[in-house]
Parts: sequence; C-alpha cells; structure tokens
Amino acid sequence: MLNLENVNIFYKELQAIWSVSLNVQKGEIVALIGPNGAGKTTLLRVISGLHRCASGKIDFLGRQIEKEAPEKIVEYGLSQVPEGGKIFTGMSVLENLELGAFVKRARKEKNQNLEWVYEIFPRLAERKSQQAGTLSGGERQMLAIGRALMSKPQLLMLDEPSFGLAPILVERMFETIEKINHEGLTIFLVEQNVQSSLELAHRAYLLENGRIVGEGKGKDLLTFESVRSSYLG
Amino acid sequence: MKKNNIIKLILIIVVVALLVVLPLVIKNDSTINLVILVLLYILLASSWNILGGYTGQTNLGHAAFFGVGSLTTRLLWVNGVPFLLSFLAGGVVAVILALIIGAPAFKLRGVYFAIGTLALAQMLNLTVGNILPEMSYNPDLANYQLLPRYYLFLGLTLITILTAAILVKSRIGLGMMAVREGEDAAESLGISALKHKLIALSISAFFAGMAGAAFAYYHVSFYYYMPFGSEWTFDPMMMAYIGGTGTIIGPIIGAVFFVLLKQLLVWNVGEYHLIIFGTLFILIVLFLPGGLVEIWQKFRTFLTKKTKRRKKVLLKATIQNEDGIQRE
Amino acid sequence: MLQSLGQNLVFGLLVGALYGLVALGLSLIFGVTKFLNVAHGELVMFGGYASFYAFSMLGLDPFLSIPLTIIILFVLGAILYRLVFSRTIKLPEESKIKNTLLVAFGLSVIFQNLALRFFTADERGITTSYFSQAFTLGGVRFPLPKVAILVVTVIFLIILQLILKKTYTGKAIRATTQNWEAASLMGIDIHKVYLLSFAMGAALAGVAGTLVAVNYSIQPSMGLGWTMKALIVMVLGGLGNIPGTIIGGLILGLTESTTSFFISSNYREVAGLVLFLLVLIFRPQGLFGSKEA
Repeated sequence: MLNLENVNIFYKELQAIWSVSLNVQKGEIVALIGPNGAGKTTLLRVISGLHRCASGKIDFLGRQIEKEAPEKIVEYGLSQVPEGGKIFTGMSVLENLELGAFVKRARKEKNQNLEWVYEIFPRLAERKSQQAGTLSGGERQMLAIGRALMSKPQLLMLDEPSFGLAPILVERMFETIEKINHEGLTIFLVEQNVQSSLELAHRAYLLENGRIVGEGKGKDLLTFESVRSSYLG
Repeated sequence: MKKNNIIKLILIIVVVALLVVLPLVIKNDSTINLVILVLLYILLASSWNILGGYTGQTNLGHAAFFGVGSLTTRLLWVNGVPFLLSFLAGGVVAVILALIIGAPAFKLRGVYFAIGTLALAQMLNLTVGNILPEMSYNPDLANYQLLPRYYLFLGLTLITILTAAILVKSRIGLGMMAVREGEDAAESLGISALKHKLIALSISAFFAGMAGAAFAYYHVSFYYYMPFGSEWTFDPMMMAYIGGTGTIIGPIIGAVFFVLLKQLLVWNVGEYHLIIFGTLFILIVLFLPGGLVEIWQKFRTFLTKKTKRRKKVLLKATIQNEDGIQRE
Repeated sequence: MLQSLGQNLVFGLLVGALYGLVALGLSLIFGVTKFLNVAHGELVMFGGYASFYAFSMLGLDPFLSIPLTIIILFVLGAILYRLVFSRTIKLPEESKIKNTLLVAFGLSVIFQNLALRFFTADERGITTSYFSQAFTLGGVRFPLPKVAILVVTVIFLIILQLILKKTYTGKAIRATTQNWEAASLMGIDIHKVYLLSFAMGAALAGVAGTLVAVNYSIQPSMGLGWTMKALIVMVLGGLGNIPGTIIGGLILGLTESTTSFFISSNYREVAGLVLFLLVLIFRPQGLFGSKEA
C-alpha cells in the first residue's frame, strides 16, 4: 500500500534520513520505533508532503507521491495525526471534525463519518460544541485522531499518539487504534513507547540516527537483543 | 590577495582624486549639483547600512535623524550661531535623539522595531510641520558658493565610508554582525545585543544627522519638515539593498545607480525612475538578497574558476607532452 | 462645551469605524499569511480612485460602485499575491514578515508613482447631492456620509464573519491562521487560502477607499498615512484579531477626536502615533491580544 524506496532527507543542510526503505501492506499495523531525534517525525512529514525528500521514491496505492502537494496526498487517502495532535484550539470540536472532512471525497460522506467518529470516541460527541482549546490532553488526542478519520483515509499515520498521556489513557489509546484497524484501516504508527507499540503492531521497523537498523514481526522485535537492551532496559 | 588590495587602494585613490579635481575641471553647476546629490545619497545609504545592513535592524525612521540634523543646523545657523558650531550640533543632536529613543526602541524586535521607527519618524515629521510650518531660507544667500558645499559633502562622505570600513573590521563590528545573525546566539557568546545595537544606531544616526547638517548648509530653501519625509528613509534603504546590504561598496553602488537611473530616465521618458527602482528593489529582496555586489562576486568567482580550469588543462597538456617526449 | 464634546466623540466613533475597516483587510492578510503588506494604503487609494472614476465618468453613485471596486481590488490582490508575495511563503516567519514588509514598500513606491502618472497629483473627492444632509439626535449632528461609514463597516464586518464562520472556505482560512501545517494535513490547499485571504484583504481596502473618497479626499501620496493608521489599529487590536481590529479603530478615532477637541486638530495624527508607540513598547500583543497568541 505504502512503499518507500531509498529515501534520503535533508533537514537544514544536515542529512536526517539515510536511504530508508520500508513498506506497509493493506490491513496491517506497522510501527516505526526509535529514540528521540532518530528522524521519525521528519519521515512522516515527507510522506505527507510537508517536506521534500532529496532523493528516493514514495509510492502510495500505485501513485508516486514524493512530489505531491500535501492536500493531494490527503485526497488520495493518506492522513496523518501530527505530533501533539495540533488541533485547532480556537475552533469548536465539531468545526475541527468538519475540517477533517475538507477533501472533496470525504465531504460527501461527512455525516456518516461523523457518526462513525462519535461511535469510536463518544466523548467527542458530548463535547462537540465546546472550544477545542478547553479539552484535556486525552480528549485533544482523541480529537486529533477523529479529525484525521473524518477524511476517510485508507492509511492512517500516527505520530506519537501516546505522547504526554497518562498510562491508563495510553492503554486505552492503543486499544482504540487496534479497534480502528479491525474495522479495516491500515495503520502506520510512530512511537517511542516501544513495549506497547510492538505488542500492538504486526510488523515494526527500528530507526536510529536516520537509518533503519532492524525490522521484523512486532513480537519478535520485542525479544531482539539490541531493542531489549536499549529500550526496555 | 595582496596584489588585489594594492589594486583596490590605487583604484580608491584615483576615484577620490578625480572627485577632488572634478569641480575644478568641470565648472558646470548642474554637474556639481548632481555629484552632490550622489554624495548625499551615499551618506544616507551608508549610514543606514551600519544599523540596517550590518546589525540587521530594519530602521524605517532614518529620516528622523536626517531631519533632526538639518533642523538643528539650520535653526542655529539662521539664528546667528557660527556655522561650524551649528554644523556639528546637527550630528550631536541626532545622536542624542538616537540615545533617547534607542533603549525603548530596541525593546522591540524585528518587525516591531521597523514599524516603531517608522511611526517615530512620521510623528516628528508632523510635529515639526505643526510647530514650524514656514519655509526656511539659507542665511548665506548673498554670497552662496557651490564649491565649499561640494567639498563639505565630499569630505563627510569619505569620513563616513572610512568610519564604516574601520568599524566593521573592529571587535564592535563583529559583535554587530553576530547580533544580525541571531540575537540569542550572540547573547549566549557574551555579546550584548542592546549595547551593539545602540552603538550601531548612534553611529548611523550621527552620520545621518551630519548629512542633514550638510543639507542645511547646501539647500537654498526648504520647509523645516521636508527632510523628515519618509522618502529620505525609503530611497536610501532601497539603494543599500540594491547595491548590497552589509557591504561597504553596496550603498555606494546603489546611490550612484539611483541617481544615474533618475537622470537617464528624466532625459528620455520622464519621471519613471522610482517605478523602475522600486521594481528592481523588489526583485533584489526576493531573488538576490546580496544585491548587485553579489552578482559581481558570482561573476568573478565564475571567471576565476574558468581561468583556473584553463590553467589546469594547460598544466595537464604540458605534463602529457613531457610524457610524450620521454617516450620518444 | 459639553455638547460639542459629544459631537466630537460621535465623529470620533464614526471615523474610527473607517479606521477599523481600513485595518480589517491588513489584519486579515497578516493573520492568515504573516505578510505585512504596508502597501495597504495604496490599495485604499486604488479603491478610492476606482469609485471616483466610476462616479465622474459613469455617473455611478459611490455606494453603488462598491461591488465594482471590490472586484477590481480582489483581482489586483490576487495578481499581487501570485506575482510577488507568494515568493516569500517558504521563508521562516520572522524573515517572511521582514521581506514582505520590504517588498511592500517597493510596491508602494511603484503604486504612488503610477498613480501620479495616470491620476495626476490633484486631490480628488466625491460629492453627491445627498452628502450635505444630516440628521440631529440629542443635539448631535449626524452627517450622512459619516453615518454611511458605520453602516458599510458593519455590513462588511458581518459579511466577513459569515464567510469565516459559516463557509467551508472560511473555516479553512481560520484553520490555516491557527496552524498552516495541520491545515494542510486536512487536505486544505494553503496556497489557495493565502491567495483568497490576500485578495479579500485587498477588496476590503478597496471598500475603505470608497469611504475615504466620500468623506475625505484621495491623492497619490495618501497611502503611507492610511497604512500607518491601519498599522496602529492592527497593533491596538492585537495582530490578526478581527473584532479587536474594529475596537482598535474606534479607540484610534476617539483618541484623534479628543485630541482635536482638547489640544488642536493638528496633533490628531501625532496622538495616534504616540498611542501606537506606547502600545508597541508596553503591550506588543495589542490591547486585546492574549500573550500566547
């Protein structure tokens, strides 16, 4: 579904990503794990078209997207929940969700999708007329995911959905991701929370200093020596 | 490198010598007036460049210092104070103004500083117009001579350029450029941003004030508020950008270019020079932030690379030849 | 004495509405795109000339020519964005503001001289038969052209709010203002949003220009003065804050009218500039802006 081939990325003259290749198949949950500053967020920004790669190919559903504008990529069915959610704090919860359905394809099915999102996150339905800025951290993350789901994506990329959440909320967040995946949505997950994401993911890649240094089935990677020693203590 | 410097020095001496003898050879008043105009613009653009180019603080109120300088000198002179004293007072009062407004103005960063200084100059412009709405006449009209005015402008311009050139090579100049590249980074190196900005502003204001003082000596009649007009900020700023900000030669090139363009267009198509100059300014800001100086440098490195490559080719050819000879 | 003070305050408020309207376009553009278009005053000037020529050549009432002015300035804004301002969008915010400021100064020089060439340096204004009419309320005179300022400003404020709050495009504009990256992840084409906001801001300047031509006079060199007023109002109201902008306009109008009353009308504008500098130094987020915004 998503296929990266030898992608090189520079960030302010420094190379951040070195010849990264990876793929995500339909129906999977794939995790990309690695320490802070490994280049995970940069990679997602490039896939979404917010930043350009210096070389390499990115293929999504048979289309070359490495030179596409961000709005086109969303239109093709690839949505991202950015780091920290980046919800529109000055707008109501409902307006945030409506903006999620901005692309033409999704606008037609807006009401259906809204019901679907409210089903997944009933809390958002309760708060729909509230200003997004007044939401709690957990609710903000729900809104960010709900907003991305409103575009009815085929592939959802999540950048650190557990960041800053209390452990109990993290657990619930991962349950929700699994549930969305069971409904047929492919997930590409970037996480620092290695244990939970490896338990959840079908497959995972390990990114360090801008290079893929390991890959395998999620649960296998948990027993991977270097992962154990560096991330799980 | 050394050879280059010698060539530069000779060139400078020749240009200065030409400027010194120019009014003695060409006794045409309109030509001398034209050169005075160029010198005035060099003064304004170079002094603007000290704060705007080297220190990175976009000052949109440069006219305030020019205006205060001309106002002080003219008022004192008209009221019987000896000329030399009134003349120097112009620069001194401009520095005093700079010191008064400096501390609060530099609380404003980036664009706030720019629009703050613009507001300040406008404020002075309107206030002077309110208090002194009348026209001011040169008290020296009876025996007005162009030559001393010319040499005053020439001397002042040379001092300004020389001061700027020495300043930017000094420790303080390095500090100014560090502030331009990033205030926080400069502060972390122990360079006080406020101090360097204040020094740059004071020097910039001093020479703008002296330019105003010379203007007061030179100009026959003008409204007191006229030198406070925003064009005395914008035109020199555009000259500095077009020539190349943060260089000594840039504002000079920009000023010469501006006056030449103005003259050429006046002769041929009318008052279009500001339209063309404005367009050029926009193009430079958008696509060539180094100005004309950068174009020249790029061209020169292109040339040296080419000659170097040619030399290398020649060298290779001779080695091959020698090889060939040995084989025979 | 008291009555003429009241008269002064009413005039201040009516004129203040115009200041608010002039600043509205500048503030909209700055809020969305972070372009500081200091050629805004020249856009006001073009709006003024558009309605002046519509009046003098076509005999069109200035208030009826407003739609025409809007179209002309909207197109001009779109062209300016495409040709000039769009080149700066990739820059980091601080240099984007600075570069657009410089570029806009270049534009204002060009526009001023083009206007001199094509419209001449003569002062122009629009006067129609009903302009001298006024009604009196509680001893205070309300001249029709000044009342028209308030009416037109309120109408356009409502239109703008409806667009921003109710339409998908308006929501996209607001989303881009808050966070352009998140907005483009929603599938919003931010270039289109920028273009639209810039053109809308220019159109608002055009409307203000019509009111200026009716209430004051227009001439090629008027731009900087109106840009200054718009900057003052924008800073008073908090950068990019739309309701704050209108209140900022009213405050500037009142400051000017009270200065005229107690000191001299010559110091009207100086008072506005003093207020501006005080706010810049002591409360740069504006009177109504919050610190984090």
